[in-house]
This record gives sequence, C-alpha cells and structure tokens, in this order.
Amino acid sequence: MESTIVPQLMITGLALGAVYALVATGFYITHLTVDKVNFGQGDFVMVAAFLMLSTRSAAIPVMLAIPLVMAGMLLLGLILERVAIRPLDGRRSSNVGAFAWILTTAGVAFIVQNIVELVYGKSSQYSPPLFSSDRNALVHVFGMRLVVEELLVIATAMLVAALFYLFMFRSRWGKNIRAVAYNPDAAALLGIDTRMIKVAVFLVASLLAALAGVLIGPLVTVQPHMGLILTIKALVVAAVGGLSSPIGILAGGLLFGIAEAGSNYVDSTFGDLYPLVAAMLLVALKPSGLFGERAADVR
Amino acid sequence: MTTMNKVLASMALACVAATAGTAQAQVKVGVIQGLSGPPAIVDFGESYLQGIKLALHDYQAKGGKTKIELVVYDDEANPQRAVSLANRLIQSDKVPVVIGTVSSGNVLAMSPIFQKAGVPLMAGPAVVTQITAQFINESPSYIFRCSMVNQFEIGALIDWSAARYKKIGLIHSTTGAGIFAANEVQEGLKGKGMQLAVVEAAAPGVNDLSAQMSKMRDAGVELVLNFHESYELPFRALARLNYKPVIAGPWGLSSTKVPEIVGKDAVEGTVMGQALDVTAGRAREFDERMRKEYGSAYRWPVVASLGYDAAQIVFKAVDRVGKPDPAAIRDAIENVDGIEAMSATPAKPFAKGDHECVDKKDVFLGVWKGGVVTRLP
Amino acid sequence: MSVDVKRAQGRAAPLAGYAAFVAAVVALPFLPVSPFVLHLAQSLCYTAIAVIGLNVLLGLSGQMSLGQAGFFALGAYGSALAALRLGWPVPVSMAVGTAVAAVGGAIVGVFALRTRGLYLAMATMAAGFVVEILSQRWVGITGGAMGLTGVPQIGGDAATFLALAAGLYLVVQIGADYVNDSFAGRRLRALRESEAFAASVGISVRRWRAVTFTGCAALAGLAGTLFAHQSGYVGSDAFTIRLSISLLIAAVIGGLGTRSGPLLGSLLLLGLVEFISGVEKFGPMIYGGILLTVLLLFPQGATGALVGWRRAPSRPSAPTERATAAGGRGLSLEGLPAGTSLTVESASKRYAGVKAVDGVSIRVAPGTIHGLIGPNGAGKSTLINLIAGLYRCDAGRIVIGTRDVTTLATADRARLGLARTFQNLQLIEALPAIDNVLLGMTRRRSLGSDFKDWLLRRDFEAAARTEALDILRFLGIEHAAPCLPRELSYGHRKLVELARAIAQRPTLMLLDEPIAGLNTVEAREIAHAVKQLRGLGATIVVVEHNMEFVMSICDAISVLDHGQLIANGTPDAVQRDERVVGAYLGAPAESAEVVA
Repeated sequence: MESTIVPQLMITGLALGAVYALVATGFYITHLTVDKVNFGQGDFVMVAAFLMLSTRSAAIPVMLAIPLVMAGMLLLGLILERVAIRPLDGRRSSNVGAFAWILTTAGVAFIVQNIVELVYGKSSQYSPPLFSSDRNALVHVFGMRLVVEELLVIATAMLVAALFYLFMFRSRWGKNIRAVAYNPDAAALLGIDTRMIKVAVFLVASLLAALAGVLIGPLVTVQPHMGLILTIKALVVAAVGGLSSPIGILAGGLLFGIAEAGSNYVDSTFGDLYPLVAAMLLVALKPSGLFGERAADVR
Repeated sequence: MTTMNKVLASMALACVAATAGTAQAQVKVGVIQGLSGPPAIVDFGESYLQGIKLALHDYQAKGGKTKIELVVYDDEANPQRAVSLANRLIQSDKVPVVIGTVSSGNVLAMSPIFQKAGVPLMAGPAVVTQITAQFINESPSYIFRCSMVNQFEIGALIDWSAARYKKIGLIHSTTGAGIFAANEVQEGLKGKGMQLAVVEAAAPGVNDLSAQMSKMRDAGVELVLNFHESYELPFRALARLNYKPVIAGPWGLSSTKVPEIVGKDAVEGTVMGQALDVTAGRAREFDERMRKEYGSAYRWPVVASLGYDAAQIVFKAVDRVGKPDPAAIRDAIENVDGIEAMSATPAKPFAKGDHECVDKKDVFLGVWKGGVVTRLP
Repeated sequence: MSVDVKRAQGRAAPLAGYAAFVAAVVALPFLPVSPFVLHLAQSLCYTAIAVIGLNVLLGLSGQMSLGQAGFFALGAYGSALAALRLGWPVPVSMAVGTAVAAVGGAIVGVFALRTRGLYLAMATMAAGFVVEILSQRWVGITGGAMGLTGVPQIGGDAATFLALAAGLYLVVQIGADYVNDSFAGRRLRALRESEAFAASVGISVRRWRAVTFTGCAALAGLAGTLFAHQSGYVGSDAFTIRLSISLLIAAVIGGLGTRSGPLLGSLLLLGLVEFISGVEKFGPMIYGGILLTVLLLFPQGATGALVGWRRAPSRPSAPTERATAAGGRGLSLEGLPAGTSLTVESASKRYAGVKAVDGVSIRVAPGTIHGLIGPNGAGKSTLINLIAGLYRCDAGRIVIGTRDVTTLATADRARLGLARTFQNLQLIEALPAIDNVLLGMTRRRSLGSDFKDWLLRRDFEAAARTEALDILRFLGIEHAAPCLPRELSYGHRKLVELARAIAQRPTLMLLDEPIAGLNTVEAREIAHAVKQLRGLGATIVVVEHNMEFVMSICDAISVLDHGQLIANGTPDAVQRDERVVGAYLGAPAESAEVVA
C-alpha cells in the first residue's frame, strides 16, 4: 500500500476544514458584533464559486477575476445586511425571539439559491483549476499528489486567522469593534460609528465567503445546493473552536477537516457521522468550544 | 331568406353544433417530478420532463383529437410532498393518469394511492425493481413504468463483466438504493461463481472518493462498478491516485454532465446500462431535436428519451379513450401498440403481466466513445 | 371590582374556540369539498402539534431547537416499526413512537442544558442531522430512502383519521393553552428572560429546561407517528433539516408565544408549500420572499397582524390613596414569616486576579434593615451575588438563620426564603405587573384543581391574585396591576419588582440598589415600604449609593472598599468613621447635600 495515501487524504481533509474555518470566521465576526450570523453563509460561498465560474468562461484572467468576484460578494453582503439584519435592530428579543435573524438570513439564502438556479441551471458544474488549463493538474510534494488549490486554501485560512487575530486584538479598529460588541450604546457615545461597523462586519464576512468560494470550486462539485451543508459544518466548527478567537476557529476547522477525512477512510458508511457526534459531545463538555471563553450569565 | 337557404343554414348550424359537441374533449395528465433539490435528483427529473414536453409538442403537431394539458408538480424529492401531490392530482385536479417520479422511495409511497384510487401511474424515471412488482398481481394493476430497471441493467453488467474481468470492485452509496443495488450485484456475481474483490461505500453528499478508490487500487481492481449517485467523483479521484481502471455502472454514467466535469478523455471506455442508442435512426433525430430545443439544458439523452416514450404511450392511450376515464385509460395503456419509440422501448411495451416499458431483452450496454454514448459491441 | 382589576384577572380557556374547532372538524367531511382537503386538514393537525411544541420551547422558554425533524423522525420510525415489525396495534405503536421521541429529546436535552443561545441552536441542529443520517444509512432498520411501506393506516377512512388527528391536536392545544396561562407559563417566561433571575425566584432552571425540551420533542414525535400512519409510508427523505426549518417558520409566522400562532402558522406554511409546488422555477424565491416579508413587516406574526396591536396599551388609572407614612394599610396577609439572621463569615471571591471580595464578615440581625455601601467597585454587587448564590465563594461561609447555604444553589436558597431584587430590574416584559408578582408565589393549589379552574373559568388563580393585589396595594400601585412593565414608569416598575420579592414570603430580602434611577418622591415611597416590611418582621439587606436613603432607614451599615470590610455599625458610627469618610463620603457637611 502506497504510504502516501493517508497523508494525501489528510491534506484534502485539511483543505476542506480550511474552507469551513473561513466560513466560520465570518460567523465569528458577525456574532461578536451583532449577535447574529448569516445562516446562508454557505450559499454565499456557492454564489462566489459560480461567479468565479462565469469569469472563467468569459476568459477573464484569474488575477482580475478574483477581485471581481469579491466585489460581487461585497454587494451581496451589503444587501444582506440591509434587508435581513438591520431591520431586526432593536427588536425586542422577548416575543419574536432573539432568533429572527436565522429566518431572515435563511430567506435571503432561498432567494439567492433560486437566482443561481435560474441563471446557471440546477446541475453540477465543472470548475476549472485556478492556475492551469489542465483539469488534472497536480503538484507533487513528498510523493503525494496534491491539488494546488488545496494548499492554497489551507494557507489562506491560516493567513486570514493570523490577520484577524492581529486586527481584532492588536489594532485600534479591532478595539472599536469589540467595544461595539460589548456595549453598542457606550461605544456610540464614545464617538465610534456603530452603524458603519455593523455593516462592515457583514461585508468582511462576505469577503471571506468570496475567498472560500473562489478556492473551493476546483475541490468539490459546484452545484446550487452545496451551500446548506457548508453552513451546517461551519456552524459546527464554530461551536467546536469557540466563537471567541479566530485562531480557535482555525484550529476547530482544521481539526474537524482531519476528523472527517480520517473517519471516512476508516468507515465509509457512517464516516460523516462520527465527527458530528464528537463535536456535539465536545460542545456538551465544553460549551463555549475548545478555545472559547464562557460568558457568565450573571447580573 | 328562401326556404332552401333556411334549410341549408340550419344544416350548417347543426353541423357546427355537432362538431362543437364532440370536438376537443379536454383531458389533464398529471406529472409529478423531482424538480428541485440536489443535481442527483433534478438532473433526472428535468430530463424526463424535457422528454415529456417534447412528446406533447409532437402530439399536438400531429393533431391528436383529444386536447391534453399537463399539470406539473414538483415533489422536492420528499415523500410527504409526493403523497400529498398524488392526493391532490387525484382528488382535487381529478386527473385520470399521472406520470412520475424520480425517487424510487416516492414512487413506492405514492403507488398504493394510485392503485387504490384506480388511477394509472406511469412511473419514471425511478429505477428500483419493486415498483411494478408491488402490484403486478392485482387485477387490474394500475402501476406501469417507463424507465430503466435496476435488475435488468445490473444483469447486463454482470454478464458482461464476469466474462472479462477477474478483479472487480464495487463502490456504492450508503442510501437504500445504493445498498440494494450492491446486494443485487453481489448476488449476480455469486451466481457466476465470482466474488467482488473490494466493496466500498460512501455517503451520498460526499465530495471526494479518493479514500475508496485508493482501496480499489491497492487491491488491484481492474473494473470498478460505480453505483454512487455522484457519477463523476470516481473519475476525479483517479488522477491523484495514478490509477486507471475501467469504470462501469448504471445509466447515470451516460449523463453528458459527467464528461463535462471530468473531461471526455477520462470517460472514454466507460460502460453503462443503456436503453438508447443515439447513433441510429429515430434516436439520432430525437437527440438533435432535443439539443436544438433545450440547448445546454439537455443533458441526459436516455432519460429524456424514456420520458418521451412514457408520454407518447400515455397520450396515445388518452387519445384512444377520448375522455378522462382512468379505468379505460389504464386498459388502453396496457394494450397500446405501434409505438415509435425513441428509446429501446418496443412497439408494444406492455401486457397483462408485464408493466415494464423496457424489458430485459431491450436493455443493453452503452460505452462512451469520442464524447458520445454508443452501443457496446 | 374596578375595570382595571378585572383586567388583572387570569385568562381562562377559550372554550368557544375549542367548540368551534370541534364543529369545523365534524362538519368538514360532509362539506362539498374534494377529499384532498381532508388530506390537507390531517396534515394541518399533526403539523400544528409539532409547531405547538416548538412554540412552547422557543416562544415561552426561549430555547432554540433546529433539530425538531429528528424527533419527528424518531416518532415516525418508532411507531411504524412497532406496528409493522412487532405487529402491535396502532394506538400502542403511536405511544411507543412518542416515547422514543421523548427519550431522544431527553438525551439531547441533557447535552443542551449545557449550552444556550446560538450554541444551543447548533447543538440541536447537529442532533437532527445525526438522526437524519442514521435514518438514511441504517437501512436494515429504517429502509433508508426507500423507506418502510405498508405501515398500517388508521380506520381506513380519511374522516376517521382526521378525527383522530384533530382530537390529538385539540388535546395538545388545550394543554399548551393551560401552560401558557398558568404558573408554568410564568416560570418559562422568566427562564427566557434570564436564568439567573429565574433561579432567584426559586425555579429549578435545569429541570424546567429539560422537561420543556423533552416535552417539545415528544410532541414532534407524536406528530411523526400521525404522519407515519397517514400515508402508510415512512422514508428518510422526509426528515431533513428543511423540515426543522419549516416548523420554525410556521411557529414564527404564526406568531411566536401566542395561543393561535401554531395553528395559523401551520395553515400558512401548508398553503404556501402547496402553492409553490406548481411553480417550481420560482419556488424557493417565493418561499424566501414571503418569509422575509412576514418577518420584517409582521414581527408579531399572523396572530399579531390579525389582532392588531394586541390591545391598546393600558394606562394605569388615577392612583388611589397611597400608603402614607402615618400608618397606611397594613399587609393584610397572614403576615410575612419572621425574618431570619444572615451571617457571612470571611467570604472571599476573586476573578482573573482581582480580589472582588476579600474576607468579609457581616452579621445581619433578624428583623433589621442592614445597609451595604461603598464606592464603585468596592465589591457590593459581588457580595450580594455571593449571598444570593449566583457566585460560589472561594472561601468562607454564608449562613442563613441556622442553615449553612454556602454550597446551595440559587434556586434552593430562594426556596429557603431568600428573595432579591436586581440592580438592572428583572421583570417578565411580556406579562402584566400582577403576573410578575404571581411569579414569586409558590403554587398552593394542586395541578388538577388549577387546571379545572382554568378550563371551567372558575375564578382561575383567584386566591393568588387577591394576594398579589394586596401586595400591590400595600405598595400603592394596585392600579398598575394589568399593565405591562413597559407601560409603567421606572419607579413603578421597581415597586413591581419589590412586590414580587414580597410575594415570595421571604425570610431574608436582598435589595440591590432599590432606588437607583428614581426621583425623591419615588425613593421615599420605597423607603416607606421597606420600613413597613421591617415593621412586619422582615430582615432586609440593602445595597445603595444614596446616603440619605441609607442613613434614614438602616439599623446597621457595613462599608466595603476594595473588597474589604472597613466599617460596620450604626449609621451614626459609620458616618463618623474616618476610614469611611476617607474612602467615600468626603466631609460630613457635603454628604447631607449629596441626595436630591
């Protein structure tokens, strides 16, 4: 048996885990600031993947295509915040439920998914590699045959986590964001533009979805229904890593990715079940995640 | 007006009245298909519906006496919806015949309703063998099917592969349909005194089959039978594993989406169950017309052709009966003859004990050659 | 009785509504509608059952579950398998299915107890997913996506099945309405507001959460059993997360936390689904669009839209004469229990390197008002929370009366007779003042009698309500009884909270900044009330910044600074203590001006 198959599978697993981490980082930043996340974040990744497809078939060079896709996703993020998040501001949490955002963002996700289906059809699509015209382009590392995008997405996720960490915990902007998270009224009184920050975090989340979408295309089958499972797994990753730190989320994502790959290798029938159950157990034992801080519910 | 003119006028009026009375009886044909959800469902549903719609177009062009209107519902691959829609079509829309659906589970859920209500169901493109077998011994049986049948294509595959390959592997999906197919394959091979070298399973929504394919490679498997509904995934894994077995499987592998995603070269030589040969006669013409009509949305010739033939049969039967009478339509379907089928459906597809359009002798094997699925020699 | 007081009376069962429902169900099979309508009516009934469960779980207790499809599946499979493989009669198999779902709910509930908010949503979603995967893959048992066929149907006749489904729905609806209107609804709503708050009025948070969760799962399971026997087929494709989301949508667009929400929401959901079956090109868009529109324009859901804005906000009528300093109306209860003593021995608490409370020892004599003062950050709130049980002492003991409560949970201390008010005012916003007061009372009627009273409109909770009104009258805010907290002035809201604390019949009261944010008139009312409570024998500990207040009512005062006790004694002694002056008061002459 070729000894490189297991590490090769692990890298594939890490790559998917990195995708989940990118999506979950979007959850982290919006949850931190406005206590809401975009339940259609996975569908946003799907849109980005399809947009990337379009740019490729229009023969736009990759380096131009990526910013274009990001711009498109920024617009989508803007619309989402305006339509599904802002109107819920200041809603009394008692009656409608502090969870109305689940349904409003899900509503947007349904609409977005339908639009993609109308434009691109409901079937799976081929998404070409980013930097090669050969659909089977591989990179050989230590005897393993890897797809370039796999390495790229892992590197991107790590970079993003590091940048976020520095930004949130070492820069003034990050402190502003955390101030808004802690007490929006006080932050406003201090002259921080809370409205702008609340919009900005959703834009950042959309950018993360864009990154994930651009890179995920060559790795999986791109089809309009791929979003929900991404959202679910990213939420699980966020729960595992804890919503307190971008590094925690990265760790959670990579861990989950490896667990998935390993578990599928060992038992292909129920393979995707074990990481989920393990995650649930983890959350039961350490409710705020591996790296999260528990917010005490006391007055 | 002279008396003669009056008489002529009255006769003319009477003729008009008579033809108005008998002209254009309207019959609704119900269609339930999986039209939303993952591609594994939607590709089937939409393709079959494309065939049905083209058949309606042809029927109207040929001037069928009875006016036929399609009532199309989407069951979202959810058995609860399928059951509800079946009830709705029968009780609310009052259709005398229904065509559908994709998911075998949904068909199994719906068919007791049709049998009990005495409304004929033309099942398709669901493939599970049980569908017609469930009620075939009833007299009369209301369930027909115009689609590939699991049992037949597996039989053909086994006959072919057992003769040519020593090490055969199977990869299947962990759903009921996949497990069922896997069992049938194993039984079939046992009958030939052979055994599968490797059996691997994978979840339906999985993204990568490298792990499973690597186990095939390590066991030296020469032929991989792919019964996983992500038809393109085994191919994608091959490049990374430096492995080039022959791949064969059910009719799903004939979807044009597969070479689109993995490349024409990768599928060259892949074998699958088939009921349509587009290189010859009517089928070729049909293929071209579908391409013209639907463009790139036309992606599955064999499914579309079976949808066409299913609809043809139903429309012919409805036209013969001329009114929304489910029992009469059922009889007409069972006795229909002279069908000019696009698929391998024979001119007289059904009989009292046989409600399958495509029988064992009609199913053959196809192979990808130069970007087209042709009959395996 | 005045109009206001009548409005303050408890709600009762909408018997007319139930009767109308029964009439509609009985009449339906005879109406000239297609049998498909019967089929839809059946689906409506069991969907509504599942949504009722979710309504109680989310709308009342504030717990999110995105995994209801899993329990629905457990019920469906449980019943189908029991009937099919074990050959048990359908009513028995339905009970089995419901029980299986309840067990599943209890198991998930145990996990869920450790999480809340978004994490709870994610945990339940994962649980639902696990059930979906198992039902799809464990083909030997569930038949996977091909499913189980030939599941016995009920009565063989659509009308019979409808009668059964409708009957079960009615039973569940009546039960849910009772929960909504009774002590259970109050406690669940308190839970939703804040778990700390709920514990402080004696609610066992874990038990209530777990029971509600299990109950909700059981209801979803019951709905699942009906589904299984409706068409005789159970397949795994029906139990995806889309079902969980659909149930949630039905709950929200019907009107979360309302009585008629589940039925209305289910009706709207089913109607919408039937409508988009015919337009599959735009189906999801329409679905999403309607969802967004309803959520944004009708946050109260369909029920809110239909009923207008609930009711016109009640304005409190002209206040009747207040209790005056000269004597007022006495508390006409059987009297408050005699206050106990409180002893804090060397209590310490530190977090993240800061010693919030450092070796503090205090003794509060029974029947006295004991003040706790100190500059900001001195550790007063921490000490109160230690006494109340929200925090655990790192060292030291807390003794109430003769009972060492150091290791006792908040709810248990509350049940021993400890009542508290909160610095930031904790009331149930969704209920009127009188219900907030009722929250503090222990239930004295048995469950059966309470239910009968409610059902037959017989002076539901009459005795308790009279007592609550007495307490409000004692505090001079009887007129505020039917008003929601947000309709009252801040001062009156604080009085309502005090009323709730009194309703607990405490032997020890902790008042955390009772006059913060009040004007002098309101502050004097509170001062008067507190003194009257002492007159009735209560022991009260008061944390306050306002010196005039503290000096005027306290029998003894403890002063904290930087977590340590720096003075302890009579108001005069403390006022003159140099250390206190230095830490907090400034020159004695200034302190008199600090107030007002």
